[in-house]
Amino acid sequence: MELPISLLGWCQWLEHTPLATAISESVWLFPLIEGTHIMALPLSVGMIVMFDLRLLGLAFQSAPASRVMTDIARWSKPGFAIMFMTGALLFMTQAGKAYGNPFFRAKLLFLLILGINAAVYHTSFYPRMAEWDADGRTPVGARVCGALSLVVWIGVIICGRTMAYQF
Amino acid sequence: MFALASFLEWCSNTRWMVYIRDSSFGMPALQSVHLVGLTMLLASILVINLRLAGFSMMGWSLPSLSRQLRPWAAGAITMVIASGIVMFLGNPAKYLASYPFLFKMTVLAVSILFQAGVLRRLSTMEPASPPRRIDLLAAGVSLTLWFTVGWAGRAIAFV
Repeated sequence: MELPISLLGWCQWLEHTPLATAISESVWLFPLIEGTHIMALPLSVGMIVMFDLRLLGLAFQSAPASRVMTDIARWSKPGFAIMFMTGALLFMTQAGKAYGNPFFRAKLLFLLILGINAAVYHTSFYPRMAEWDADGRTPVGARVCGALSLVVWIGVIICGRTMAYQF
Repeated sequence: MFALASFLEWCSNTRWMVYIRDSSFGMPALQSVHLVGLTMLLASILVINLRLAGFSMMGWSLPSLSRQLRPWAAGAITMVIASGIVMFLGNPAKYLASYPFLFKMTVLAVSILFQAGVLRRLSTMEPASPPRRIDLLAAGVSLTLWFTVGWAGRAIAFV
C-alpha cells in the first residue's frame, strides 16, 4: 500500500508555505526565533536537569525532592512551551533538509525517549513522592529516570546544535 | 600589541587548532559544550534571581540555595569559558573584527563584576519578605545582563 502523501513530500510542502517562506526571507525573523529557541534552554532543559540532579542526590540535598519539583521543575513548563513553538517554526523553514538529517532524526528519537521517561516517572514514582521523601531515600527506579533524563537531554542539545552544520 | 597579535596568529595555526577547524565535528562539538554550559550556568542564575526577587522557592534559604548551586555554576562557567577560548583561538581575526563579539565581551565583563560585587553580597543574606525594591532591581539587572551575553553570542553568527 502506498501512502497518498509521503512524509518527505509533506516536509517539502511545509517549507513552501507562506509562513515558512516569510520566516526564511526575513532578515531578522529567523535569527530572532533561533535565538529564542536557544535562550529558552536554561528555562526548559536547565530546570529539568536541576530536578534530575536532585533525584541523583547531587544537588539540593537539604530539601525534599517534591519541593524541588514544585519550586524549580515547574518553571520548565513555560520553557518547553517556548521551545516547541520556536522549534516548530524553525523546522518549517528547513523541513525538507531536516527530514533526511541524521542528527534531526536522532533528536526526535531522543525527545520520544524523554517523553516516555517522563510518563514512566509520573505514573510509577510521582504518586508516592511524599512517602519516599519522608524516608529520605530516592527509589532506584526514580534515580534511573533522573540519570536517563540528564544524559538524553545533553544528547538533544548536541544533536540540535550539530544538525545545523549539516544544512 | 604586535606581540599579542602574532601570538594569537601562532595559536590559530598550531596543529591542534588546524585539526579542530578542519575536522567536521570540531566546531559542533565545541558549540555543544558551550551550549550545555550555558544551559546550566543560566539556569543557576535564574534560580538564584527568582528566589531573590521573591517569585519562587520561598521555602528555601537564599544563602543555602546559592551555596548548593555554586559548584554547578562553577563547572558550567568552566565549560563555557574553555570552549569559548578554543573557538576564539581558532579564528581570532574574525572574532576581533565582529561587533557582536566585542559587545558580548563587554557585557560579559559587566555581568561578572555585577555578579561578584552586588549579587554575591545580596545572596549571602536572607532577602526581606516581601522583597525590597533593591532585590527586585538587582535580580532584573542580573538576568538582563546574562541573557544579553547569550543573545550577543548568537548574534556573532548572524551579523
